[in-house]
Amino acid sequence: MARNSAIPPESFEEILAWLDPDREVAATMYVQLYHDLSNIFRWRGCSDPEGLTDDVFDRVARKVHEVRLTYQGDARRYFHGVANNVFMENLKKVKTQVSLDDDEVPEPMSAKGDEAGTLEMEECLQACLPKLSPDNRKLILAYYAKEKQAKIDNRSELARQLPVETLRVKVYRIRVSLQECIERCLERKANQR
Amino acid sequence: MTDALLREFLLGRLADDETRQRIESLFLTDPHTKETVLAVEQDLIEDYLEDNLTQDERQRFISRYAKTEEQRRNLRITKSIKDWAVAEPQAPQVTTPTVSVWNRLWTQPQFKPVLVVPLAIAIVIAIVLASIWLNSQRERRKHLAIEQELAQLNSPASLSEVPAQMISRELKPVTVRSAELQTEISLRSDIHTVQFTLPWIQQERYPAYEAQIRRLDDDESYTIPNLQEVSNEQHVIRLRLLTSMLSPGQYQIHLRGVATDGARSPDEEYSFTVTR
Repeated sequence: MARNSAIPPESFEEILAWLDPDREVAATMYVQLYHDLSNIFRWRGCSDPEGLTDDVFDRVARKVHEVRLTYQGDARRYFHGVANNVFMENLKKVKTQVSLDDDEVPEPMSAKGDEAGTLEMEECLQACLPKLSPDNRKLILAYYAKEKQAKIDNRSELARQLPVETLRVKVYRIRVSLQECIERCLERKANQR
Repeated sequence: MTDALLREFLLGRLADDETRQRIESLFLTDPHTKETVLAVEQDLIEDYLEDNLTQDERQRFISRYAKTEEQRRNLRITKSIKDWAVAEPQAPQVTTPTVSVWNRLWTQPQFKPVLVVPLAIAIVIAIVLASIWLNSQRERRKHLAIEQELAQLNSPASLSEVPAQMISRELKPVTVRSAELQTEISLRSDIHTVQFTLPWIQQERYPAYEAQIRRLDDDESYTIPNLQEVSNEQHVIRLRLLTSMLSPGQYQIHLRGVATDGARSPDEEYSFTVTR
């Protein structure tokens, strides 16, 4: 996860001010930007996306004072440019290092013997579902109800009521809120143990 | 930006660095692109959970989405949501009572029967207009949904797989085949997909092709963008259609090349007949 403590408070404040004049909006953008850059590194296949993102923020923090005055355009594009540099450097580093860990990753769905975890997940899902509005619950149920070919037919049917893009984004938002609720519930359960 | 392109992006398979940079930049700054990318990511996760990925896609997926314990937990959460939805019986549609509105109106003391006729006419006209509008909207959405489905069916990832219950047919361009060689497709319940092989006979090659399909009796046509040649040696384009989209009649396919600057080549025409 983030190790942003390395960023001096004044640089942190300056980054926030650069992102948006409203501190609250800027703080949200900061967190979002962190997640987005981590995602970008992950999609590029980097093994430590968070570590590289930390590196990006560290570098921007060191330069923000000068860059901010001269840089034209969206600050997030500057972060993206720095991320490109970090990526290229990391690529060279990885090429010159002999990897000690096996690239083989266990199949996440083949994990056997975690019945307690499955049960907890089920309990949390059942606890979170009633928190959705009836319409959202009905939509997510209809969206995920079918698999394979039946899924395509089912979604074409749903798309008669809502444009495909809107439907997908709407389901995505509902699913994210459900997922966050389940994660919080699982964390609470873990803390109780 | 098509779903197929974003899928390649998410799996780290985009060879074109410029395109990747452009998607990343929009992902960071444009909320609409971000939501689209994340929605395509959800489809990808679903395909993984339903075991619909090719071996290469699966390996790339696992190295990006199942490497850490947190990621694996997220996948399990998504799976639990899907499992719940599949197991849960579909809730019946709730219908709102319509009679009670009339009853209430009728029982209003100030409601005079003399007003009923003009009011009823106005309501009928409004209902007719609304239903015409709703119908056109529904048709438009249906059309877009079918085009989207066709684009997905013909994405490079989908074309690399050979689904069961598929038949293949080669269509000759109308300009080079004789009239009696019309290809016939018979609709059968055990066949879900038809794959057409369309030879490209023009000299000029293009980075992408676009097909437009239409039933001769219909005004409606569907466009399938971003089709590719099978390989540099074989100048043919594959096009897949779901039989559920077809009905008896004669169909025409217009295929054209799309240059990098968006310019279109002259059309090649192919045709086939669908029978029961």
